[in-house]
Formats: sequence, C-alpha cells, structure tokens
Amino acid sequence: MDQRPSDSRERNGAWRVLRELSVPSEAGNERLAMEKVADAVRDLDIRGENLERLKTAVAEATMNAMEHGNKYRAESFVLIEVSASDTQLSVKITDEGSGPPDFHAETPDLEAKLKGMQTPRGWGLFLIKNMVDDMEVTGDEHHHTVELILNLDGRTEGGT
Amino acid sequence: MAVRHLEAEVRQERGVVVLDLRGEINGFAQEALDAAYAEAESNDPEVILLNFEGVDYINSTGIALIVGLLAKARLSKRRLVAYGLSDHYVEIFEITRLSDFMGVFPDEESAMSATSVS
Repeated sequence: MDQRPSDSRERNGAWRVLRELSVPSEAGNERLAMEKVADAVRDLDIRGENLERLKTAVAEATMNAMEHGNKYRAESFVLIEVSASDTQLSVKITDEGSGPPDFHAETPDLEAKLKGMQTPRGWGLFLIKNMVDDMEVTGDEHHHTVELILNLDGRTEGGT
Repeated sequence: MAVRHLEAEVRQERGVVVLDLRGEINGFAQEALDAAYAEAESNDPEVILLNFEGVDYINSTGIALIVGLLAKARLSKRRLVAYGLSDHYVEIFEITRLSDFMGVFPDEESAMSATSVS
C-alpha cells in the first residue's frame, strides 16, 4: 500500500493511517469496501448523513476501480487506505489500471438522458464529487488512485 | 458481504400500481426491475408508484436503471412517483435531479394523496 501517486500528508501535516484494506474485484464488493471504511472511521464520530455520503463516495470509487481499473478480475484487488489528520479524512482507492484514469467525464444531464441524448449511466464521478469535499485522481503506468477528502471540521455532530 | 438481489412485486392499490422493491438496486437489479415494470405497465396505469421502503442500497448503476424506467414512463405518458427513500437517497434524487422529474414522497399515503387517485 506504499508508494501511492497521491499523498495528502505532504499537504496537510500530521496524518495517521487508520486502516489499510483490500477487496477483490467482484461485482457487489463495493458495499464491503464502504462498510469497512465506515468501521475504520467510527472513532472519528462521523455520523448520520455525513457518514452516508462518505460511504456512497467510497462505494462509487471502489466500483469504478473494480470495473475500469481491474476489469472485474477477481484476482485483482482494490487497495484502500484510510487516514486522518486533525481536520481531514483521506480515503485513497487504488486499482491496477494503467494509462489515464477511466472516469465518465461527461457531466450527467438528466434531461438529456431522458431524451436519449446521453447514456443513462455515467453517474459515478458526479456522485463522488457531490458527496465529499474534494477528490483527486492520479495515475501512473501501474495504478490509478482516487483520493477522497472529507473535512472533519463541523462534521462530528451528525446530521447534515 | 452477500449481495441482496432485488426483489420486486407488483400490486394494485386504490387504482394505482405499486412496485414494492426490496434489496439492492445495482447492476444485478435490471432483470427484476424491468420485469416488474413491464408487469406494472400491462395494466396501463396513469401512475406507477415505486416503493423504496425495503431498499437499503442504490448505486450509480441503480440510478441509471431508475433513469431508464423514468424514460419509459415519460414515453408512455405515465407518472412515476417514488416513496420510502431514506434521507440519503432523497438527497441523491435531488442531486441527480430525479426528484425534478418524479414526485418523491415520504410514504405511500402521501404519495397516493399527491397523485390524486386515492
């Protein structure tokens, strides 16, 4: 789990790794990933809608990694590192893909989708961006990493 | 973690067709969802209610399936109405603008009342 292309620790000072985990690239395992991440952050007291947003972002990024990066090869794992500073939570989700990260770049437009002018799919990146405070997508010849950032200030009271 | 495949049942309630959905709405759900919707359409209703009370997970692929149902409904000039979504999925319906194109209600009673068929 070392040598990640992206490293927010350099940006934001003292970080501690809360959990490193991996899931095989089998359809449906994004739920396993999101529940494990939820367990990893339980001491941060992220609750309610904020926890649900984080879980959705983790699930969507993991699903993208399994589908596009690892081509749903069960022997290929998605690696997840959960770390926190005093003010931020970082979840890095890494697959074994190469080349540019494969996210559906077109902003989804529901009206266009209903008229058949856009595919009904393509919601993953859009959802992630709306669920977390920041995200960064990086890659090299061996990996893609999506880093999700959640600001912890004001998020410990639960609710919205 | 085992995937909870979607189960969908169709019932008639006060002149409205209700799709009771239970489980996960993800890529595995397409067959069950499409079959239930086709059964619902066979009654040629003006309104179809989607009951999400038993749904505990919807991913982006599931959102795409719901978009597909909405497109079908609009094509045949039916109203698609949702109820029983958790607060989180209400937010996602708002973010995706699904709630701009289909009514979203907390429960069956309010959905029935709003569709003016009770």
